[in-house]
Amino acid sequence: MPDDKVPDDDETQEWVEHTMRMASIPMKTLCQMVCSILLVVALPNACCCGGEEEPCPAVQRSTNALAWFTKEVWIKVAQAECLKCHKQGGEADQTRLVLSDPATSPSSEFQNVLQQNREAFTTLALEKADDQSLLLVKVTGGLSHGGQTVYLSGSTGYRILEEFVRRANSPDLPDDATATEQPAGSFFDGVRMLDDRQLLRKASLSLAGRLPTNRELERIAAGGQTVIPEILDQIMREEAFYERLREAFNDIFLTLGIDGNPDQTVLSYEHFEKTRGWYQQFDLSHIADEKARLQAGYKLANEYRKALLDEPMQLVDYIVRNNRPFTEIITADYIMVSPYSARGYGVYEELRDKFRNADDPFEFLPVRLKALIGRNASENQESASGFYPHAGLLSTFQYLSRYPTTETNRNRLRARMYYQHFLGVDVLELAARGSDAAAVTEKYEIPTMQASECVVCHKTLDPVAGLFQDYWRFDTNFSIYGRRKDGWFTDMFPAGFESEQIPAAERWRALQWLGEKTIQDPRFAKTMAGHAYFVLTGRRPLSPPKDLDDPFYAAKQRACQEQQCQVDTIAERFAATGFDFRQLISDWVQSDFYRADGLTMTETSTERLAELEETGVVRLLSPEQLERKIAAVFGQRWDRLTEQTAMLYGGIDSMEVTERATDPSGAMGSIQRTMANDVACRNVALDFSRPKDRRVLFPDIDPELQPGVSAESDARIRRAIVHLHQRVLGRSDSEDSEEVQRTYQLFSSVIADAIVRGQVEPQENWHCRQGLESPVTDQHYTVRAWRAVVTYLLRQHEFLYE
Amino acid sequence: MRRDFLKWCTMAGLGLAAPMAMGTAQQAHASAELPPYEGPYYIVINASGGWDTTCLMDPKGVGGINRLYQEADILTDGNHRFAPTAKHKQEGLSNEDFYARFGRELLVLNGLDYSVNNHSPCSRYMATGKLDSLAYPTFAALVAACQGPACPLSFLTFGNYSATGNLVAMSRVPYLPSLQRIANADAIEGNAAAPYHEDFAQSRIDAALAERRSARASQPLLPRSQRAESMLYAAQVNSKALSRVTPFIPKEIPRQRLAQQAEIALASFKAGVCVSANLSIGQFDSHANNDADQMKLIPELLEGIAGILQRAEEISIREKLVVIIQSEMGRTPDYNQGNGKDHWSIGSVMFLGPGIRGNRVIGATDARQFAVPLNPVSLQCESETGIRVRPEHIHEALRTFAGIHEHPHSQKFPLGIKKEEQLQGLWG
Repeated sequence: MPDDKVPDDDETQEWVEHTMRMASIPMKTLCQMVCSILLVVALPNACCCGGEEEPCPAVQRSTNALAWFTKEVWIKVAQAECLKCHKQGGEADQTRLVLSDPATSPSSEFQNVLQQNREAFTTLALEKADDQSLLLVKVTGGLSHGGQTVYLSGSTGYRILEEFVRRANSPDLPDDATATEQPAGSFFDGVRMLDDRQLLRKASLSLAGRLPTNRELERIAAGGQTVIPEILDQIMREEAFYERLREAFNDIFLTLGIDGNPDQTVLSYEHFEKTRGWYQQFDLSHIADEKARLQAGYKLANEYRKALLDEPMQLVDYIVRNNRPFTEIITADYIMVSPYSARGYGVYEELRDKFRNADDPFEFLPVRLKALIGRNASENQESASGFYPHAGLLSTFQYLSRYPTTETNRNRLRARMYYQHFLGVDVLELAARGSDAAAVTEKYEIPTMQASECVVCHKTLDPVAGLFQDYWRFDTNFSIYGRRKDGWFTDMFPAGFESEQIPAAERWRALQWLGEKTIQDPRFAKTMAGHAYFVLTGRRPLSPPKDLDDPFYAAKQRACQEQQCQVDTIAERFAATGFDFRQLISDWVQSDFYRADGLTMTETSTERLAELEETGVVRLLSPEQLERKIAAVFGQRWDRLTEQTAMLYGGIDSMEVTERATDPSGAMGSIQRTMANDVACRNVALDFSRPKDRRVLFPDIDPELQPGVSAESDARIRRAIVHLHQRVLGRSDSEDSEEVQRTYQLFSSVIADAIVRGQVEPQENWHCRQGLESPVTDQHYTVRAWRAVVTYLLRQHEFLYE
Repeated sequence: MRRDFLKWCTMAGLGLAAPMAMGTAQQAHASAELPPYEGPYYIVINASGGWDTTCLMDPKGVGGINRLYQEADILTDGNHRFAPTAKHKQEGLSNEDFYARFGRELLVLNGLDYSVNNHSPCSRYMATGKLDSLAYPTFAALVAACQGPACPLSFLTFGNYSATGNLVAMSRVPYLPSLQRIANADAIEGNAAAPYHEDFAQSRIDAALAERRSARASQPLLPRSQRAESMLYAAQVNSKALSRVTPFIPKEIPRQRLAQQAEIALASFKAGVCVSANLSIGQFDSHANNDADQMKLIPELLEGIAGILQRAEEISIREKLVVIIQSEMGRTPDYNQGNGKDHWSIGSVMFLGPGIRGNRVIGATDARQFAVPLNPVSLQCESETGIRVRPEHIHEALRTFAGIHEHPHSQKFPLGIKKEEQLQGLWG
């Protein structure tokens, strides 16, 4: 059963202790500390997550050379190009230039790592080959450089290295003062932030699909931002949050996108032949009507299949709900099963008494499966413990089915997805440089182990692919688990992780071994911090700009650096709090990246706009989010952003369409118009038909009240508009504001036009007066004018985006 | 009321490129009735997974490269050489029939060097002309942004790599009936005779939204907000033009995969609401049983292309329709142990449409299926002095062909081809 402890490993323990000490430090201070190390010393052309503390002058003086190296050579050249091969375990790890990756080190080590890298570069820069610096010869492809030509002579990258060589050869040159120049101010200078009340609305809608309660608003009014963490923590214990969590993590892992019937693809014939079809024999004889019995059978099967598909995200849910370390998404020694899916695995009887309601197809419990028994003894699973070696999501049949393998793919897709999902590495990006793959294939006997173009990826990818070697079946309907008859491939780098081979004794639990290695890697916490950012914004953290000649390179680099600094800080705190996922979300919500909402100045330079190009959440709501927001604001869902319409509105199917639309197309604009018309139609007259104390849209106004009758009536109409702006859009406008005036003008103009038109019906149209709780007349067209107002508000950015 | 609306639109500066951070421009048209986009229309068809070019436009009958036929079996039609498939196909259109019908219009480029051989980077490279950037738009998105940014379905996609470079919204309309749903958004259940609001109220709503957009545009907003609000407004206003699509939606949904996508694209072209479409037909990744898979898929692909051209003829847009047929990679010149073929970084691309002289084959592969360098000026193969034609060369030529190579959007995403390496006279 699940184990609460983080793996008992010295290295991990040290890391955890270090970060636990940091857990007690307030977020802003922690951010400034980390950034002082990362940005001021190592990355001098950036500032501190909005902090304003000056760097320590002593540190600054002693590190100008390092700062220049970091700013110019490391970020622009070495990290982007050299590090792909010149690192431990990389293709070039036997050369004189072996670099360390700061991303895999705790932030306290960043400076040392960079200093070592600078020294390695300096050694190469000083060495000569035909009177030229070896560094420059190699980077232009000379002396059989394994990575061939990285930069052409005269290119921007080359010139940076040329300048580094010049400096290395002239140690007496005065330090370049520009190396530690600070930008004029904080990154967020001139950016308007959400106030606490607005922040709460945004977070509660995003995380729990509801508006803030009056009690929460009172607490904010009294306690300001000091009470926000506690309120957020409460929100993240609501059922709606867990639904959002499952939905968002499926956007990342896409495990709902399994092809075919999950009772066959997830549960293979070889190992679950006798149990996976349980629903076909399920006794429904108590249903007398044949048609009803048939329907009940379909329902049973569908719910069983849905439960199977839901299991991976239920694991995420379970971990967070039960305050377990989030590392369990790759180390959990259990899976989640429901009464229905448990039958498919053949473990229902042992769990039956543990379910609160054994008839609920979607109540999930953790269970540890026994080692698989095949129809043939050769397909029995080897297991030293007698149990299936669960490794969180990684070893679930759903994950393995979603990312299947083939004879020639050799589990490389699974390895690639592992790197992307758990360490934030897009392995294919390592190879995104033109070569001649066809010639390489011809030239080498085993290109993936011999040709540098191939090795750059395969040396990383193939060892992890080898860890999946016991899942060597290609027809998931038949089997997922199964060993290769002739043993694992010898023309691949041996199974392991990074530069470490897996010990033979660990082979049977290879994915568990991988999980344990993974959570020790600092990239894991950073990747989870990135996932949390994705949950909140729908975007992944920025990647470093690549084009050194881009006129906005510096601006984009600064934006990336600032965000990365925040990622690192939040990741450290995540680890410090025992990998508490709620802490990740809470920290992001309270960060300036989430609060940023506008600009305070009208004149902004192009460079500054480039820096801020990706700042602010500004996220088009997904179909699911929009439905929840409609329910939160109006008290009932629209229920039309489903199935085909959801796809049309930018939704995903987790199979073919896996990225949500981020910008509205004309088709989506059309759906927005329909939604605004229809939701206003369903709700305006309905709200007026209720007693005032139950109205959500018009609690203080008479539906017949007309504009222009008296100052008092106009003021009441304006107050009603202020309320609508607040409820629908989250805006706090004053009664005499331009926005309220515009809405008032719309309301009064529609009524005036109706009077001019004459002969209008004295009631709402038939479609918009259905389901009223009491009759609502509309003699003066005021109800329909309010409907026009609500339609107008629903089409606005503040409603359709977060 | 209509005058009021137009006045507000004018005040809002609509119809001009909205002020976008970093040069993005999405337009809301100043007229309540968006004028139809008149063409040319672009369809990019991707044979997803990597097609076996030796089974189609680059036949090889020696060296065990292909088991379906021998060198002597290779067929010709005009200047084209192609693999014989009539005897191997079960359904769909044979190469023989395809070339007989379209060979005179068809331009083929063989020996295209993708330089790498993984799906993800290759797809990106072939779709955008840029291997090492995630930011570049696909050709279909770029041409849509340059030529018809106000069209409500300017860039349609049904799969394949579809990045937009933040230049234009990507539209997914996965099912034909979906077009009906979005055609009359201001009417109850899409029934134009039953509007939600009376016309005067609707005009007031639209005018208030235009006025608000104008006010917001002059406020200091974050670049993301400025861009999002502008795109949102444009999407809503321009979507009214979708009502024009209704007459062109066929009553029956076709059975074939490509035809289902094509009907949506063609109806949208005809209605003047779409500039380009990415179509996709998958499962070409034949690591096992290559010949059986390719002989199922290539005839299906060709049948789909023929269907598109025929349907375009029926609705009188054939003379404005440019079709690009590509795949993200080729397949190896040898078979693996599972009778499959693995990834190969050399492939081909085909074009047809107005302005493209057909009956031509440019470039070549040698007997072992390696790319033969090409003289970019004479377009003749020159092993010693020629260049390796890569996706950026194709995209540079496509941008020139579409007349968008000097458009600011194209300039923002340069392909870095030296003038002397640009393919001269590719289109004939």
